[in-house]
Amino acid sequence: MSFFKRVQDKFAPKATEVKTGEVKSEMTLPSVEASAQTSASEAPKGGALDRVKSLIAVGSGKGGVGKSTVSLNLALALQKQGKKVGLIDADIYGPSQQHMTKAVRPTLLEGDLIEPSTYQGIKLISVAMFSNSGQAQLLRGPMAAQVIRQFLSQVAWGELDYLIIDLPPGTGDIQLTLAQIAPLSGAVLVTTPQEISLIDVRKAVSMFQTLNVPILGVVENMSYFICDQCDKKHYIFQQAGGKKLAAECGAPLLAEIPIDPRVAASSDAGEPIVVKQADSLVGRAFAQIAEKVVAQEQMQRGTDGALGYFLLEWK
Amino acid sequence: MTDQFRVKRIWQQDERTLGIVWTDGRKSLYDVVELRRQCRCAHCIDEVTRELKLDPDSVPESLRPQRIESVGRYALTIQFSDGHKTGIYPFERLRELG
Repeated sequence: MSFFKRVQDKFAPKATEVKTGEVKSEMTLPSVEASAQTSASEAPKGGALDRVKSLIAVGSGKGGVGKSTVSLNLALALQKQGKKVGLIDADIYGPSQQHMTKAVRPTLLEGDLIEPSTYQGIKLISVAMFSNSGQAQLLRGPMAAQVIRQFLSQVAWGELDYLIIDLPPGTGDIQLTLAQIAPLSGAVLVTTPQEISLIDVRKAVSMFQTLNVPILGVVENMSYFICDQCDKKHYIFQQAGGKKLAAECGAPLLAEIPIDPRVAASSDAGEPIVVKQADSLVGRAFAQIAEKVVAQEQMQRGTDGALGYFLLEWK
Repeated sequence: MTDQFRVKRIWQQDERTLGIVWTDGRKSLYDVVELRRQCRCAHCIDEVTRELKLDPDSVPESLRPQRIESVGRYALTIQFSDGHKTGIYPFERLRELG
C-alpha cells in the first residue's frame, strides 16, 4: 500500500497551489496527454489513503440516472456484507450524499486531516457538508479537481476494503483527476434503459477505456415499474438498454433496478432503501450488485503482474 | 474490461535509455531525449490545431529525466532536467513509439 502513501505525499497541496500556467493544460480534454497535475511535492502527511484496498468509481456520463442512489446503496450493501466502506461524493456542483444521509459536518483533526462523517457504518464525505444548503459551488475545473485531491489526500479514511466514488456526470476535470492520481480498481456504470441515456454513457465507457480503468459492470436503473394493481412490468423508459450496453463493453449486467417510489422517498428522508427496506425488490438488487462488484473487482485484480504505482529516479 | 497493456517492469538501461517490459512480455527501449521531443503536452503541441509548438532541435542531447512516475493505470509522466514535467505519456502511445 505504499503507493497510496506516495500519492498522498505528492497530492497534498494547498488549494492555492493551482497556478494559472497550469490551468491551460488542465483544460485539454480530448487528449489525455496534457498534464493536469499540480507542481506540489510537500512534506509527507499522515496516512489518508494508506490502508484503502480498492477504489471504485460509480459513473455514467449522463446526469439524473441515479448515480448517487446507486453509489450510496452499493456502499451500504457492501457494508452489510461485512466490508469496510467509504464513500466520496465527487459531484462538487450537485452533491447529493449529504441530503440522502443527513450526515453531519466532519471534524478537523490535527495536521489538516479531516475525520470523515459516518452513516450506518460507512465513512462519508461530501462538499455539501462544508457549505450552506442551497449555496452553489462556483468553481472552475482546476479548483473542483483540487477539492477531489483533498478528499483523497486529506481525509482520514483509515482501513477500508472499498472506497466508492460517486462521480458527477460528464467526462471532465474531476473524472480525469481521479483517474490520474489513483489507479482506480474499476468503474461501475449506471444507465437508464433508453438510447438517449446510452449515448452519454458510451462516452463514459470510452473515457474509462482510454484511462485503462476496468469496467466492473453495468447497473440499469429505472428499468420498469410494477404498479399496485397488477404484476405486469411496465417498461416506461424502453427496455434492455443496460443489457445492450453491457454487451457492448464486455462487462456484466449487474442488475435491472425497478422504479419504486420508496427509493426517492427514502432518499429524501435520509434513510436509503438498502437500510429501510432491505427485503424489497430494489433492496435485494443492491445486495446482488454488491456481491457481483466484489467478484468482478477480485477478478480484475493483478493477474498480469502490472505495476500499480511506480516511481523511477534517474541516475 | 480493458485491453491495454501495462508496465510490468521499468528501469534505466543506460545513461539515456529507458527500458520497459509490458504485461504481454514485449520489451521496449526508449531514448529519453527522443521522448522529450515526442511530448504532447499543451506546452509542446497546440491543443486546437495539434500543431507542434516544440522545436525538436531546441532539445539538447544532454537532456535527462529526473523522475519517471506512473499516472493512474494508463500512463507515465517524466520530469526532465530542464524542469519540463507536464507531459503525460499514455502506455498506448509508448507502445507505438517503442
